[in-house]
Parts: sequence; structure tokens; C-alpha cells
Amino acid sequence: MGALPVYHYVGIGLLLFLIGAVGVIIRRNAIVMFLCLELMLNGVNVIFMALGRAKGSVEGQVIVLFIMAVAAAEAAIGMAIITSYYRTHRSVDADKADLMKW
Amino acid sequence: MSALLPYMPYALLLLFTLAMAVTGLGVVVLPNPVHAALALLANLVVTSLLYMVMLGAPFMAMVQLIVYAGAILVFILFVIMLMNLRKEEYTFKVWPMRALLGIGAAIVFFFQIFALNPHFVGKAMLGAQGPDAKVLADLIFSKYLLPFELVSLLIFAAAVGAIALAKKRA
Repeated sequence: MGALPVYHYVGIGLLLFLIGAVGVIIRRNAIVMFLCLELMLNGVNVIFMALGRAKGSVEGQVIVLFIMAVAAAEAAIGMAIITSYYRTHRSVDADKADLMKW
Repeated sequence: MSALLPYMPYALLLLFTLAMAVTGLGVVVLPNPVHAALALLANLVVTSLLYMVMLGAPFMAMVQLIVYAGAILVFILFVIMLMNLRKEEYTFKVWPMRALLGIGAAIVFFFQIFALNPHFVGKAMLGAQGPDAKVLADLIFSKYLLPFELVSLLIFAAAVGAIALAKKRA
């Protein structure tokens, strides 16, 4: 089997991060914004995996493991916030969340 | 056939990139949140396949499937289901500003792709077996023991916080 230069993988990761970032900016639905956030995290994971692999070390995978754990915690908190927001506003429109705006 | 063999990795890479782009754009573009979540699921599965096939990390591929596709996504789908959301109505009032910001971010990140140094570090082998879970465990439970324990604390705090936030006020 052949070998691929690592920057191809970094390109894939950047592409995922790009799509996620654009999604966070242009969508209004808080849940979909959250999904796009996960997309960004996933892109970073791909880059970590590829660079760790290219360096021949496992530490990239260790970092990815930690990122996944933090993403799980973040999902729990994020969904709880969205639930409690939905309870008071009957929508998850991020534009209508203006309690702390001034 | 054997003359085509050197191009195999590039064909696979192209396939993976296309799959990633299509499913990722699905998350951004689809108006129904359930469809967006399912597109994210497809994206996560493709990522898992990338880890398995291209980066020689079957353990991480499995963790990716179990944690992301199995836990986080089911969780998000449950919340969407409970809220019974309608389709998002794209408003065109705020559209120009938002689109401008989005396009700006897209341009910045797109040129970052070209700013990559092609001669940077080594090559990632295709399909070759990477370090297995045992090596990973050795590292986590020695050098990264403190971060590991801190992450467990973080998850505990997140669980308690989620209950406190989502609980119905009496």
C-alpha cells in the first residue's frame, strides 16, 4: 500500500472545520448550530489523528480521546441549556435569545 | 491493473473528501433539524471509516462510533424529538450580514488549506496497522493520568449541571 502526504488529511480536517464554522454563523436554530459545532470538533480530531500518525506517536489519539470526552460533556450541558431555554421561549431560535444583550 | 495500484490511495482520499464535504454541507443546508442530525451521523460514520481505513486506528474508529454516533447523536435526536420543532424558516431580513460573515469565514479557512506546507512532516501510511489500544492505554494511565482524572471530574460536573439546568423549577 502506498503512503499519502499528511497535508491531504489536514486539508480534510480544515474542510470540515470550515463547513462547521460557516454553519454556526449562518444558521439560527440553536440545535443545528450545536451540530455544526460538533462538525468543527470532528475536523480538529481528524487533523490530530493525521499529525500523530505522521509523527509515529500515539499522543494524537490520546488528545482525540480527551476531545471526545469533553465533547460529550459539552453535549450534555448544551442540550440542558437548550431544553431550559425552550421551556421559557417555546422556540430554539438563537436570534431571540437576548436576555443578556444590552 | 497493477499499473493503477499507486493511484489507489488518491482515489480513496478523493472518495473520503467528497463524502465528508457532502455530508458536512448537508448539516449546514438541510432546513429540518432531524435531517441535519442524520447528515451529521453520516459524517461521523465517514470519519470513523477514515480512521479505520486510512489512518490505521481501528480502536479510535470504534470509540468514534460508540461515543459520537452512539451517545451524543442519540442524545441530540432525543432532544429534537421532545421539542417537536418545525422547519426552520430562513429569514431574509438578516440574511446579507450573516451571509457576508459566513463567506468571510469560508474564504479565510479556504486559503488556510492552500497555506499548508506540502513538505510538512512525514507521510501517513495507508492501511498500515497503527499503534493499538494497549499502547494508548499505557500512555493514558501513565503520562496523561492527571488529565484523565480531570476529564472524569469534568464529566461528573457536566452530568450534575445538566440535571440542575434542565430540572423543572418547583
